[in-house]
Amino acid sequence: MTESFAPGVRVQDLTVVYRTPVGELPALAGVGLTLAPGTITGIVGESGSGKSTLALSLLNAVQPPGRISGGSVEIDGLGDVVRLTGDDLRRARGRQVGYVFQAAQNSLNPLKTVGKQLLDLGRSHDVADLPALLREARALLGRMGLDGGRVLDSYQHELSGGMRQRVGIMLALVLNAHLVVLDEPTTALDMITQATILRIVKEVHRERGLTTLIVTHDIGVAAEVTDSLAVMYGGRVVEHGPTMDVLGSPRHPYTRGLIRAIPRLSGDIGEATALPGRPPTLGTIPAEGCVFRERCPLRMAVCDTVDPAPAAYGERTVACHAVGRPVNLAVRKEYV
Amino acid sequence: MITGTGVTKTYRQRGNLLGGRDVQALRGVDFAIEKGGAVTFIGESGCGKTTLGRIVAGLETYDSGEIVIDGTPMSGLRHRQRQAHFRRVQLIHQDPYSALNPTRTIHQTLHAPLALRARQKGRSKAWAEERARELLTLVGIDPGYVLPRYPHQLSGGMRQRVVIARALTVDPEVLVADESVSMIDVSLRLGILALLKDLRERLNVSVLFITHDIATARYIGDDGELYVIYRGQVVERGPTEAVISEPVHPYTQALLSAIPVLRGVERPGAERVVPTEALDERHADTGCLFARRCPFRTERCESERPSLEGTVHGHACYHPQPRAVIPVEASA
Amino acid sequence: MTVTQLLPAPATPRRNFWRGVLRVMRRKPSRMAGVAIVALFAFMGLFGPLLYPSPLPRDDNALYAAPSWAHPFGTDFEGTDVLALVVTGTRYVLLAGLATAVITVALGTGIGLLAGFHRGRWDTVLMRLTDLQLTIPGLPLLLVLSTVWKFTSPLEMGVVLGVLGWGGIARAVRSQTLSLRERGFIEAARGLGLSTRHIVGRELLPSMAPYIAMNMLIAVTGAIYAQVGLFFLGVLPFDANNWGVMLNLAVFGGGALTSAAALPYLLAPLLAILLLTLGIVLVVDAMDEIFNPRLREE
Ligand SMILES: Nc1ncnc2c1ncn2[C@@H]1O[C@H](COP(=O)(O)OP(=O)(O)OP(=O)(O)O)[C@@H](O)[C@H]1O
Ligand SMILES: Nc1ncnc2c1ncn2[C@@H]1O[C@H](COP(=O)(O)OP(=O)(O)O)[C@@H](O)[C@H]1O
Ligand code: SF4
Ligand code: SF4
Ligand SMILES: [Mg+2]
Ligand SMILES: [Mg+2]
Repeated sequence: MTESFAPGVRVQDLTVVYRTPVGELPALAGVGLTLAPGTITGIVGESGSGKSTLALSLLNAVQPPGRISGGSVEIDGLGDVVRLTGDDLRRARGRQVGYVFQAAQNSLNPLKTVGKQLLDLGRSHDVADLPALLREARALLGRMGLDGGRVLDSYQHELSGGMRQRVGIMLALVLNAHLVVLDEPTTALDMITQATILRIVKEVHRERGLTTLIVTHDIGVAAEVTDSLAVMYGGRVVEHGPTMDVLGSPRHPYTRGLIRAIPRLSGDIGEATALPGRPPTLGTIPAEGCVFRERCPLRMAVCDTVDPAPAAYGERTVACHAVGRPVNLAVRKEYV
Repeated sequence: MITGTGVTKTYRQRGNLLGGRDVQALRGVDFAIEKGGAVTFIGESGCGKTTLGRIVAGLETYDSGEIVIDGTPMSGLRHRQRQAHFRRVQLIHQDPYSALNPTRTIHQTLHAPLALRARQKGRSKAWAEERARELLTLVGIDPGYVLPRYPHQLSGGMRQRVVIARALTVDPEVLVADESVSMIDVSLRLGILALLKDLRERLNVSVLFITHDIATARYIGDDGELYVIYRGQVVERGPTEAVISEPVHPYTQALLSAIPVLRGVERPGAERVVPTEALDERHADTGCLFARRCPFRTERCESERPSLEGTVHGHACYHPQPRAVIPVEASA
Repeated sequence: MTVTQLLPAPATPRRNFWRGVLRVMRRKPSRMAGVAIVALFAFMGLFGPLLYPSPLPRDDNALYAAPSWAHPFGTDFEGTDVLALVVTGTRYVLLAGLATAVITVALGTGIGLLAGFHRGRWDTVLMRLTDLQLTIPGLPLLLVLSTVWKFTSPLEMGVVLGVLGWGGIARAVRSQTLSLRERGFIEAARGLGLSTRHIVGRELLPSMAPYIAMNMLIAVTGAIYAQVGLFFLGVLPFDANNWGVMLNLAVFGGGALTSAAALPYLLAPLLAILLLTLGIVLVVDAMDEIFNPRLREE
């Protein structure tokens, strides 16, 4: 009963914790995010900001020692995935939500050909018509510029990084999922291969009518393909809005710092400035107050005690005390 | 100053089930790294960038051609002497995780080369200790915090700075940075690049920078030279800004076209062309190496190999095409 | 010059190391149990023979006596306490096991490191040698040797078993070395001009320490099985008191497999071997964490 439509996704107040020697620590703290049907959404942020954790939550696939401790993930046609269990959940993965894992280049089984792995996937989802599945896979691979037959007969080590990434995308789409999550699809690929993969992602997205989520630490990648962009920091979505707007007029101090730290091909290269400090890890995320304050040039007294709640400004959502009110420079100086 | 002339390297591959074949990683590369200068090599994966960096750092042998360090040709020397010369070139690995020994503290890691250095210079142990702190301060980290720690207790950015400090223990003249920031957090990358730039200015060390992110080459040195390498051949070479703003070789143009445009901040350049076919070492190498993927190839391209022409801004192509591919600043 | 520039006690490694070891051991009760077992056997090996009069007293009225308070594991064919036999027999078994382990690990690691680090001609020659060692048939050779050699000293035993057993470790260490030498930090050390001694001793060896320690412990158990087996089979002439000898006498002299009377006599040394093996296996589990600073410090 797979329906052919691009589903919308509403993540609300999602909290995911990981068990560590010092107790359960939140990797996501009350995250809210909406993916509009038929769009490509990007999540950017530094290592450890919780991008992969959020992506995994869309399939309720956070692995122990992690667990979803609160909130909901509503997917059209599926309901709240946080509440799904057992067989329903297993069927949803693959059938409705396709996932391309981080480092997909290495996530294939080295001992089995791609074709064998495809058949395993088909069997575990009770696909009756396996030959049709193979045909569909060959067509998809062909669509991505590969010789489908040859690729299905190959082992992982016989494929280049870009080819493996395409195989990952094929495996995510072959069961006709309409929500696709790609975690770092181009990391470790060179520029031309990256451009090719991004083109394929865009084309396949359009042709099949998908809702796509791309996780990346490379703002350029997100800028190239996404319609809307969410910026994560310390387990929170600190800014979210249409890509052009977020990049063109970033409002959260972190987004601004991140964009300014990118050396660019055009313009005055001297304008690139490094963001001071370094990203927090699970153990060093402050328990109260704004998580970004240690690196923030606009820090105020209130930032130390109150975690800023996301607030809507038109199409944009920003979580920062300094946005929407005049910056009081005197206060700021005291606390820098 | 280091120069290379006609450096070639072929990896002989024993035949396996895939039908192993020799890979010509470098096909006669000429380059010159001035004292305090910045030279960048860009190209796709597998074009020979790492091989070149390792040869310049003395970690890999070359088949033919010559490398001259400060006027001394390397090929005539005995192993020991050659190693001593190559010590002046230090490689900064791509992966700051495997570049530091996980079982040794940063103090132990820095102490070993410094103790050796102290002996060579006839300095005391205290000098070595002092120097370790000096170098860590120079690369922008707090010695008191870092020295007693193990690598796993440091962030990626700090680790890469420690790696750079370790390279500086032997007072090198050239730092070879092979994709040195690609595994580091985005917000910390610029810091490392700024450090390399700063070392050029303060210590007058040259930097051989290997990357596929061309924009970072601008940051390391807009006064530098950019080499575009394809399948082991330099296909375009010139001042960094000139190659980026007026690329003439179709391959350079393809590389520049492939760089994502920061929409909202930049607009795409007028003519972006990215080859759809992937790089394949098995493609013919009788004529121009890029012929198979080139939109401008003619019959001549398939039978004859163009060589690098031109002095300041050179290229190896029979049909150079001036094209504007780089993004332009979006009007606010 | 002034001494004030000295670093703030960087990594007082020794103290930290042992404290780390303690922390690692405490993480799982099973490891502490392993340590306790191994310590118990070490104690028996060191002081066991001092606890009993020598020769051990016999009680002619209690041949193959059933277990009782006086004789927890019964007595043997001469009326000697089985527990006393096990305890006093520990020293030979452990010493021979340790000697074997030290020799296999020293030879295996040394040869493997040399072959892997220098590659080329060294590698070819050393690996030939290793192949040769691996093809030596151990048991027949021991049979032949035992006709001329009494193996009264456990160290002789250890030397022979050690020389016959280093091949496997050498191969494994070589392949580890080959993969480690491509790692960035080894390459950097070479690029910095550090001596081979430093690279092998300070960079390579510590990285392989968990592996070597594990092999060492496993070699101890292997050696214990081997020698006990040899004595049990009667391959080696025995005048020493030893668990293998006990097994042999229990089975072939006492008919432990058919009569219940000698059963405790058979079970006691078996139990000792199993317990010691268990202890070692439980400790091996901690090696990775002990030698990896990351796992140790957390
Ligand atoms: N299995 C785990 N056990 C404990 N903590 C974990 C685990 N997996 C992730 N974390 C922690 O959760 C936080 C978020 O991790 P996540 O993998 O989502 O980050 P990310 O943004 O995807 O980073 P990257 O860019 O490195 O992929 C991090 O601080 C990470 O250390
Ligand atoms: N040790 C090696 N053995 C065999 N082939 C190698 C080796 N190192 C590199 N090559 C081959 O040489 C070519 C150039 O590689 P490399 O210098 O690593 O390129 P780059 O750094 O530009 O990605 C590639 O085809 C690669 O597969
Ligand atoms: S809430 Fe305060 S500290 Fe946080 S980003 Fe805004 S201004 Fe900076
Ligand atoms: S020589 Fe011909 S094939 Fe080669 S790059 Fe120039 S135009 Fe293209
Ligand atoms: Mg991730
Ligand atoms: Mg490389």
